[in-house]
Amino acid sequence: MVKTIIAHIKKDFRIEFRNRYAVSVSFSFAFTTTLAISLAAGGIPFSPQTHAVILWVIMFFTAMSGLAHIFVREEDRGTSLFLRLNSPALAVFTAKLLYNVLLFFVLQCMILPVYLFFMQLDVQSPLFFLGYVFLGGIALSSSLTILAAIVARAGARGALFPVISLPVSLPVLWVVIQGTSRSLGRAGFSSPGDMVFLLAFSGTITAVSYLLFEFVWHD
Amino acid sequence: MLRDISFSLSLPSSLAITGPNGSGKTTLLEIIAGIQRPTKGTVRLFRDDTELRRPWHHETGYVSPRLRLYDELTAQELIEFTCASRSTLRNRADEFLAMFGLTGHRKKMLSRYSSGMAQRLKCILAFISEPPILLLDEPGSNLDREGKEALFRYLESVRSERIIIIATNEKEEADFCGERISLG
Repeated sequence: MVKTIIAHIKKDFRIEFRNRYAVSVSFSFAFTTTLAISLAAGGIPFSPQTHAVILWVIMFFTAMSGLAHIFVREEDRGTSLFLRLNSPALAVFTAKLLYNVLLFFVLQCMILPVYLFFMQLDVQSPLFFLGYVFLGGIALSSSLTILAAIVARAGARGALFPVISLPVSLPVLWVVIQGTSRSLGRAGFSSPGDMVFLLAFSGTITAVSYLLFEFVWHD
Repeated sequence: MLRDISFSLSLPSSLAITGPNGSGKTTLLEIIAGIQRPTKGTVRLFRDDTELRRPWHHETGYVSPRLRLYDELTAQELIEFTCASRSTLRNRADEFLAMFGLTGHRKKMLSRYSSGMAQRLKCILAFISEPPILLLDEPGSNLDREGKEALFRYLESVRSERIIIIATNEKEEADFCGERISLG
C-alpha cells in the first residue's frame, strides 16, 4: 500500500511539474492579489486583524484555484478509469490528500515571502505565525481534497466547488484568522486551543473522508 | 440494455462477445470488470460477487478504447506506476515492450504517441501483471498488422492458462476464441 501511495504521489507531481497548471494558476492569483492590495493600500498600515483576514482570503482562494485540480483533471481527461482499475480507493485518496497538503505547503512557501515583502508585515511571534499558517494549510487542504473528489464527479464544477467549500472551510478560517492575528500583534500565543482545534479538524475531516471516498469514487 | 444473459467459463477458456453497435458488448465487459454494477443479477469471478467487488483487483486485465492514459508521462513511467499500483514486479517490462515494439519509444511522452502505439501500451499495461482473466474490448482497434500479430501471439501463448473475453465485431478476433455469444 505504501509503495502504491508513493507511486501515485510521484506520478501526480511529475504531471504537475510538466504542465505546471496548479502552481502557475494559484501562484499567479496570489501574487497579483497581493501586489494589487499593496498598491491600493499605498503604505497605509493595516491592523494585525486586517492583515490576517487579507492573508487568509488570499490563501483560501489560492487553495480554491489549485487543489480541486487533482481530481477534476482525472475526470476531465478520462484517466480516472485507469486509476480505478489499477489502485484501491484508499491508496488513491491517501495519495491525493498528501499531494494536496504538499502542494499547498509549497504554495504557502511561495506566497508568504511575497506577502511579507509587499505588505511590509512585521511578525511579533514568527514561530506561532508559521504554526498557524501551516496547520491552517493542512486543515484547508484536507477538507478541500474530499470536496474536490465530490465536485469532480458532478457537473458545473467551477460554480459548485466554492459554494460547497465555504461552509466547510469557515470554522478553519475563523480560527486561523484569530490565531494569525494574535501572532502578528503583541498578544502572541495565548492558548494551544486554536492549534488543537486545527489538528482535530484535520483529523476528523480526514477520517470522514476515508469513510466517504469509497462511495464517491466508485458509485 | 442487457437482458437474460447467463454463461459460465472455466479456466482456461476464451469467449467472443459479438453484436451490433449499442448491443451492450462494452457494458457487459465493464460489468464483469466491476466498473459498472448490474441493475439485476450477479457476476461471480472465482466465487467473488461483483456486487461487492470494486474494479481494482488482481484478477482482471482490461483493455478498452474508453481507457485514457496520461499524456505527460512516458511509457516507462506508466509501466512503473502500474506495477507499483498492482504490486507487480517490473522484471517483465522489457520483454513486453519488445513484444509490442515499443522498446525504442519507452522514454517518449504519451502525447507524442500515435493511437496505435497507445493501444499497444494499453495492452502491455493490462498484461504485465499477468491476471488470470483478460477482458479485451476491441483490442485490435488502431493496431496495424504488426500490432495485431504481437497481440495474438501473446494471447496464443497464454490461452492455455487464462480466461480471455473479447468484445468485438472483427472476424479475426472472434475466430480466435473457442466460444461465442452474440448480443442484440
